[in-house]
Amino acid sequence: MRALVVYSHPAEGSFNAAIRDIVLAKLQDAGADYRLVGLYSDGFQPVLTAPEWSGYLDAPANRAPVARYCADVEWCDTLIFVYPTWWYGLPAILKGWLDRVLLPDVAFLMPDGQNQTIRPALNQITRMGVFTTCGASWWLTRFVGAPGRRTLLRGVGLLCHPKAKKVFAAHYLMDSSTEASRARHLDKVRAQMDKLIGATVPAPQLKEQTQ
Amino acid sequence: MPRALVVFAHPCEESFSSALHGATLSALAKGGWEVDDCDLYAEGFSPILTAQERRDYHDTAINTAPVQGYVDRLRAADALVLVFPVWNFGYPAILKGFFDRVFLPCVSFTLGEERLKPCLDNIRKIATITTYGATPMRAFLAGDPPRKLIKRAVWGVTKAKKVRYLALHDMNNATQAKREGFLARVSTEMAAF
Repeated sequence: MRALVVYSHPAEGSFNAAIRDIVLAKLQDAGADYRLVGLYSDGFQPVLTAPEWSGYLDAPANRAPVARYCADVEWCDTLIFVYPTWWYGLPAILKGWLDRVLLPDVAFLMPDGQNQTIRPALNQITRMGVFTTCGASWWLTRFVGAPGRRTLLRGVGLLCHPKAKKVFAAHYLMDSSTEASRARHLDKVRAQMDKLIGATVPAPQLKEQTQ
Repeated sequence: MPRALVVFAHPCEESFSSALHGATLSALAKGGWEVDDCDLYAEGFSPILTAQERRDYHDTAINTAPVQGYVDRLRAADALVLVFPVWNFGYPAILKGFFDRVFLPCVSFTLGEERLKPCLDNIRKIATITTYGATPMRAFLAGDPPRKLIKRAVWGVTKAKKVRYLALHDMNNATQAKREGFLARVSTEMAAF
């Protein structure tokens, strides 16, 4: 398993950092290869520029400004997002990662002579995990249509393998969270990670023996 | 004269979004609005909410300081008009960051004892002018996040009386005639806004 973890919180020591660490520990325990992309610590620039927009369809040159990030996406078979929900959606820095990195011929194929519509190009991704925190309640989030969850699980999900396994966990009402509610949520993250990567992952020892 | 804040998010002058932006500005002016044109790319807006802003987020004495100019423009507006392309089922990052950084506690909402209270009740009308690569069906299947965000979340902090959402879908297959038709519709609607 090759897992890419995309993490987007500005402050170390945040609850999101704790979620990230559990995700990484689970991947490590499972003997997975993983890469962590910390968008804030990378100083990732989320604004798609004018030259990028003009050259958007010009593959493979379109990936040049973000080649490293594109390579991560093509490398992975498991894609995991850890982020706080702001204004019901993804932090701008993560939205910009989608805008700039999930390019034509990286994440999808544009319509051409044979095909009328956009086609997915991330078929190798068979597992997706989305872990977030929300200030709003479950009801309010649902009323607004859960844009963050939908952008990732459905929007990006449509570009992945059609039968990709998907897990999601959110801690709602973060501003009135307690130590107990946060601990419960971290347990939920552990359980969802087991569900996502559990059975199909070879144990680390086995992997070493076969090499 | 009522004042309309037009928030625009596209990097390129030659784009169709830019044409929609131009048509919106002139139609609003023709309709008797004083227009405040907020072109996020041209103004070099940074959409990244910083670690310090996160720490100060709920401290309403200082949370607006890094974006005070934008807060003032929002508070001075009687209408909010958003012009942007839908990218990856959502706002361009630069516009998402405008919400993250400017729509702060005590700017857009207050956390009351029990519930959120809207703060932008100066905004009486909201319009969105946008384009999708997706077909209407695909946008619907993906849950159409930008439409719901504007009609529910942004509406929720303004309680605006009028909300218009004008969208052209399936841009990759849109003919010249279809694009011109949409431009004309935008001009008509915004002149009568």
